[in-house]
Amino acid sequence: MNKKLGVYICHCGGNISDYVDVEKVRLSVENEEGVFIAKTTMFACGDSNQKEMVEDIKNNHLDGVVVASCSPKLHLLTFRAVTERGELNKYNYIHANIREQASWAHSDDKARATEKAIHIVKAAIAKVRYAESLVPIKIKSIKSVAVIGGGVAGMKAAIELSNLGCQVYIIEREYFVGGRVSQWDALFTTNETGKELVTRLYNDLVKRRNITIYTSTEVISCSGNIGDFKLKIKTTPRYIKEKCNLGELQNAIDACPVEVPDDFNFHITSRKAIYHNFPGEYPQSPVIDIKNCTRCGACEKICENVDFSQKEEITDINVGSVLMATGFDPYTPADGEFGYNSFDNVVTLPQFKRMIDLSDEKLTFKGREIKNIAYIYCVGSRQVEGENKYCSRYCCTSAIHAAINAKKKFRNIYNFHFTRGIRTYGKQEVLYDESSRMGDIYLQSYENDPPVVTGMNDKTVVRINDILTGKREMEVEADLVVLITGMVPRKDNSVGSLFKLPKGRDRFFNEIHMKLRPVETVIDGITISGACQGPKNIMEAVNSALSAATKSYSYVSKGELELEPIIARIDKNLCTWCNACSQACPFDAVKMEEDKTKVFAVINSSVCKGCGMCLPVCPTDAINLIAYSNSEIESMIDALA
Amino acid sequence: MQGQIEEASYDVLVIGGGIAGGEAALNLANNGFKVLIIEKDLSIGGKMILLSKVFPTLDCSACITTPKVSEISRHPAITIFTGSEVQKIIKKDYNSFEVEVLKNPRYVIEEECTGCQLCEQACPVIVKDEYQFNLVGRKAAFIPFTIASPKVAAIDIENCTLCGACEKACPPKCIDFTQEKEEYRIKIKSIIIATGFKLFDPLMMPRYGFGLYKNIITSMQMERQLAPTRPFNTILRPGDGKVPCKVAYVLCTGSRDATIGNPICSQICCMYSIKQAQLLMGALPMADVTIYYLNIRSFGKGFEEFYEQAKGMGVNFVKGKIGKISELENGNLMLRYEDINENKVKEAEHDIVVLSVGVIANQDTAALFPDEQLKLDSFNFINQPDPLATPARTSIDGVFVAGTASGPMDIPDSILSAGSASSEAMSYLIQKK
Ligand SMILES: Cc1cc2nc3c(=O)[nH]c(=O)nc-3n(C[C@H](O)[C@H](O)[C@H](O)COP(=O)(O)OP(=O)(O)OC[C@H]3O[C@@H](n4cnc5c(N)ncnc54)[C@H](O)[C@@H]3O)c2cc1C
Ligand SMILES: Cc1cc2nc3c(=O)[nH]c(=O)nc-3n(C[C@H](O)[C@H](O)[C@H](O)COP(=O)(O)OP(=O)(O)OC[C@H]3O[C@@H](n4cnc5c(N)ncnc54)[C@H](O)[C@@H]3O)c2cc1C
Ligand code: SF4
Ligand code: SF4
Ligand code: SF4
Ligand code: SF4
Repeated sequence: MNKKLGVYICHCGGNISDYVDVEKVRLSVENEEGVFIAKTTMFACGDSNQKEMVEDIKNNHLDGVVVASCSPKLHLLTFRAVTERGELNKYNYIHANIREQASWAHSDDKARATEKAIHIVKAAIAKVRYAESLVPIKIKSIKSVAVIGGGVAGMKAAIELSNLGCQVYIIEREYFVGGRVSQWDALFTTNETGKELVTRLYNDLVKRRNITIYTSTEVISCSGNIGDFKLKIKTTPRYIKEKCNLGELQNAIDACPVEVPDDFNFHITSRKAIYHNFPGEYPQSPVIDIKNCTRCGACEKICENVDFSQKEEITDINVGSVLMATGFDPYTPADGEFGYNSFDNVVTLPQFKRMIDLSDEKLTFKGREIKNIAYIYCVGSRQVEGENKYCSRYCCTSAIHAAINAKKKFRNIYNFHFTRGIRTYGKQEVLYDESSRMGDIYLQSYENDPPVVTGMNDKTVVRINDILTGKREMEVEADLVVLITGMVPRKDNSVGSLFKLPKGRDRFFNEIHMKLRPVETVIDGITISGACQGPKNIMEAVNSALSAATKSYSYVSKGELELEPIIARIDKNLCTWCNACSQACPFDAVKMEEDKTKVFAVINSSVCKGCGMCLPVCPTDAINLIAYSNSEIESMIDALA
Repeated sequence: MQGQIEEASYDVLVIGGGIAGGEAALNLANNGFKVLIIEKDLSIGGKMILLSKVFPTLDCSACITTPKVSEISRHPAITIFTGSEVQKIIKKDYNSFEVEVLKNPRYVIEEECTGCQLCEQACPVIVKDEYQFNLVGRKAAFIPFTIASPKVAAIDIENCTLCGACEKACPPKCIDFTQEKEEYRIKIKSIIIATGFKLFDPLMMPRYGFGLYKNIITSMQMERQLAPTRPFNTILRPGDGKVPCKVAYVLCTGSRDATIGNPICSQICCMYSIKQAQLLMGALPMADVTIYYLNIRSFGKGFEEFYEQAKGMGVNFVKGKIGKISELENGNLMLRYEDINENKVKEAEHDIVVLSVGVIANQDTAALFPDEQLKLDSFNFINQPDPLATPARTSIDGVFVAGTASGPMDIPDSILSAGSASSEAMSYLIQKK
C-alpha cells in the first residue's frame, strides 16, 4: 500500500483550465488519504515541471505519483519516465485523463466538468495506493527484418537495414521487384525514368550479402511476436531453369499460343503465358505465368530451359520485425464512369503513361493519331458519393507532367485539363506554370457539377461548366480522354489481415499517431511505409521507408526488448480449460498447456497486450490482470461513486 | 557549458532544433550516436512549439512538442547549444568536418537559473515580444515563453539599460553581465541541416497594406492568439482590441507569385488557414470566417476530410484573387477582389484580415562551407541532387538535410524527412567508420 503520494493537476495551457477549475480539483484532493503533495501546473509535460516532479519524488521519497492531464496516449510514458528519474519504479505512476474525459467532453458545463475531474483524480489516487513496482518483461529479439513488398519503398528500406547490419528478407508477390515505379517512364520532378531508378536500387540490393530477395512469394502465415515473428512464405516457381538462352527463349515465347492482357501495360497490350521482364523489372529472368499456362508444352519443345518439374516451395523465416511496403493500386473507374469502357478512347493515367512510353514519333491509340487530349481529374478521389473522400496527392502533378512530356515527345498535341482545382503543392507548382506557358488549357468545375463525356457519331466530346470563366459551358472534342485516376489500397490486401493491421478511414494501413509515431502500427514490431499507408509520391514513399527502417532497426538492434509487464495472469489451480479466454483474446495470446495433473490455459507474455478481454469470460475467475487487480478496480469504483 | 571545448567531438552535428532537427537527433541518439544540436534561438522546438493546434488531427501542438523537446533535452547522447551559431564548416578528411561554433552569451548562468521569472518582473524595459510575433511586449530580462526549453532567462543586451534590477532580484544570483561570446572548435563526422524556413514578410506586398493598417495580421500572429501560451485570453484585433466578428483569410500571400520572387506553393498555408478558421469558429461562435483562395490544396492524409469539415462548420470559401486592401474609418478593411466563380470584381468588408504568409527559404547555411559549395535549388532551399532515391542527400558528401530546409512541408512530412536524414546519416557513419 503506497502512503506518500504526489498529485499534479495540469492546466494544459488552457485546454483543461478553461473549463475545469484546476485549483478546486487540487483543494478537493489534497486531503485525500496518503496525498503528500498536491500541485497545479501550467504544462505538466513541460521540462521545468518534469524537473520539479523529479525533485519532489526524490526529496520526499514519494511512493506513488498521479498526474491529471491529457490522454495517457500522449503522456503516460512521459510521466512514467519522470517517475523513474525520481528513482521510483515507474509502475507506481497512475495517469488521470481530465482533458479528453472532462474539460473537452464537457466544455459546456464548467461546474460539472470540474466535478467529474475531481472524481477522476480521486479514482486515480485510489488506484495508485495499490500500485506495485513491476519489472518489464525482457525478450530476445532476432536481428533480422522481413520487408513485405519490393517497390521503391521496400527496396530503399532493405538497403538501409542492410547498411545497419540486419539480415533482410524481401518478400515480393509479383515475379519482379520494382513495384509501380518500374511501370513509369519519365518521373516528376527529375525526369529520370522509372526503369533507371529501379535499376539503380536493384543493383545496390543484389550486391549485398545480407539481403535475400524472394519473388513470386507471399506470406501465408505469421505467428510469434515482436522480436520473434515466424513467417511461412510460399514461392511459386518460374518454371524456367536459372540459366537461360535468350535467343531460344524468344522462339519459345513466339510459340506460346496463350495470349493474355499485359498487366504491366495496364492491358493496352497483351503478352504470352511465357514472357520476359520489361526493362526496369528484376530479376532479368523469364517466367511462365502458370495461372494462364495451358501446359500445352509448345515452349518446352523449343527451349530446353523450360522446366515444368519445378515445385512450389514453402520456406520458414524468423525475423524480429516486419516492415510493410505493399504499395497501392491505381483506381479502376466503374464502367461508364466518364465514358470508361463505353468509349474506346477513354483511358486511365497509368495507361496513358504506358502509351507515351510505347509510342515513337506519333502518339497513336487503336490505330488513330491523337491530337486533342482531355484530362479529367480526381477520378476515384475526392468522391462525393463513393467512399474515397481523400485526395490522392500525386495525380495533379503526374498528369501535368505526363501532358508536358506528351507535348514534348509528339507533334501537334493539344492538352485540355478538366480539373477540380490544381494541387501541384510545393515546388511541383513550377510544372503547372510550365504547362500553362506551353499553352495547355485549364478548366475547372466543382464536385457537384463534374464534366460530362458524351459520344456523338464517332466523336468523343467533353463538356464542362467552367468556373474559371464565370461558369461558361465549354466543349472539347477529344481524340483521347485520360482519366486521372487516384490511388486506392491494393485490391488483395489480405496480408494486412494476416498481420492484423488496422486500416484508416481511407482503408489504407494506419499508423499509431501521424506526428508522434508515424510509421508504427498498434501491432508491436510491425512498421508501415510507402503508399500502403496512403497516397505518396516517390520522395515521400522513400522518406517514410527510411523512417520505418530506422524504427524496425530499433526493435532488433539490441538483441533484446523490454515489454509491458501489465498482462493477464492465469491461476493454474483455478483454471478448468474451458477455452473461453482463448476464444475471447483478440491477440491469440492464450495457449493450452498440459502437465501430468491437468490441462490449463497459459498466457504468452510477449503477445498479451493486457487488454482484459479474457477476464470477464472466465467462469472460475482464474484470470487476473497485473496492475488492474480486483482491489484496485474496486477502490476506483468506490472513489467514483 | 563554460569555457572552450577545444577538442570536443561528436558523430553528428544537427543545425537547427525545430521538429525536424529534434526528431533526427533523437533517432540518432536512440541508436547509439553522439549528437550535437546547434540552435540559433534561445529555445529548441522551432515553429511547432509556438503553434496552436495542428491539422488535420487538431492535437494541441504544445502537448505533442513538449514531450519530444524534453526527451531531446535530457537525452544522455544529445548535447544542445542554444543561442548559438555555426560560423564555418571545413571538411578535414574523407569522414570528418571541423566546425566553428559561436555561443552568444545569455548573461544568465544556465545551470543555476530556476526559471522563477523574478528578473522579468524586476526589469523596467519593455520591448516587442518576438515570440508573440510582436503582438505584445516583453521585458529585456525574460524567459522566451512558458514552455521554452531550456526554461532559463536571458538578457536581451541590446535593449538592456544595465540598470541592474534583475541582478538584485535574482534569488540564486545567476545573472552575469560579464559573460562573453564563446568560441568552440568541434570535430564532427556527419551533418544534418534542419534550419527550417522563414515566413514571407508581407511588407513586401504594399498593396495589402500590412504594417500600415493595424488590423491586418499574419497567420503566425493569429496562430499565437489561438495557442495555449497565447498573449491575450481571447482573440483581439490589434488596432483597438475589439473582438473580431468578420474575419478574412488571404491565401497564397507571398506564394505562387513570380512578381515577388516566389513562384512555388508553400504547401501548408491552405491547411493551417482552414485549421485556424475552425478554431476561430470554436473560440468566437458568432464570427464569420471567409477564406479567399486560388486553389485549396488539401492533399494529405485526412486533409480533404478536414476541408469538408470546415465547409460543414460554415467557413465561407471564396475563390477569388485579392487586388487591394484599404482601411475604413472604423478600422475595418475593404477587400477588393476578383470573384472567379462569378467573373466579377467585388468588394467585401471585414474587421480583421489574416495574411496566410508563405514559406521562404532560410539561406543561413549556404555560406558555411568555404571549401565546398552547398548547392541551393532555384528557390534557395537546400538542393537535393537525388530527390527520388536519396532525398536527404545534399551536394556535399556526409551532409544531409531534414525538414523544411529543403522545401515547404507540414509537420508529418518534416518528421518523415527527418527520419530519412537520420537514417542516411547512420548508414554514412557506419560505412565511413
Ligand atoms: C500513373 C502514376 C504515375 C506516377 N508518377 C510518379 C512520378 O513521376 N514521380 C513520383 O515521385 N511518383 C509517381 N507516382 C507515385 C509512385 O508510383 C509511388 O510513390 C510509388 O510507387 C510508391 O512506392 P511503394 O513501394 O510504396 O509502392 P508500389 O510501387 O506499389 O510497390 C509495392 C510492391 O509491393 C508488392 N506487394 C503488394 N502486395 C504484396 C504482398 N501481399 N506481398 C508481397 N508483395 C506485395 C507489389 O507487387 C509491389 O512490387 C506515380 C503514380 C502513378 C499511379
Ligand atoms: C502559421 C503556421 C501554422 C502552421 N500550422 C501547422 C499545422 O497545423 N500542422 C502542420 O503539420 N504544420 C503546420 N505548420 C508547419 C510547421 O510549422 C512546419 O512544418 C514545421 O515547423 C517545420 O519544422 P522544421 O524543423 O523543418 O523548421 P522550423 O520549425 O523552422 O525549425 C527550424 C529551427 O532551426 C533554427 N535555425 C534556423 N537557422 C539556424 C541557424 N543558422 N543555426 C542554428 N539554428 C537555426 C530555428 O531557430 C528553428 O528552431 C504551420 C506553419 C505556420 C507558419
Ligand atoms: S492530386 Fe489533384 S487529381 Fe489527384 S485527387 Fe488531388 S486534386 Fe484530384
Ligand atoms: S489480456 Fe487481452 S491480450 Fe492478454 S490474454 Fe487476455 S484477452 Fe489476450
Ligand atoms: S535569471 Fe534569476 S531571476 Fe531570472 S528566472 Fe533565472 S533564477 Fe529567476
Ligand atoms: S498551400 Fe494554399 S495558400 Fe499556401 S501557397 Fe499553396 S495554394 Fe497558396
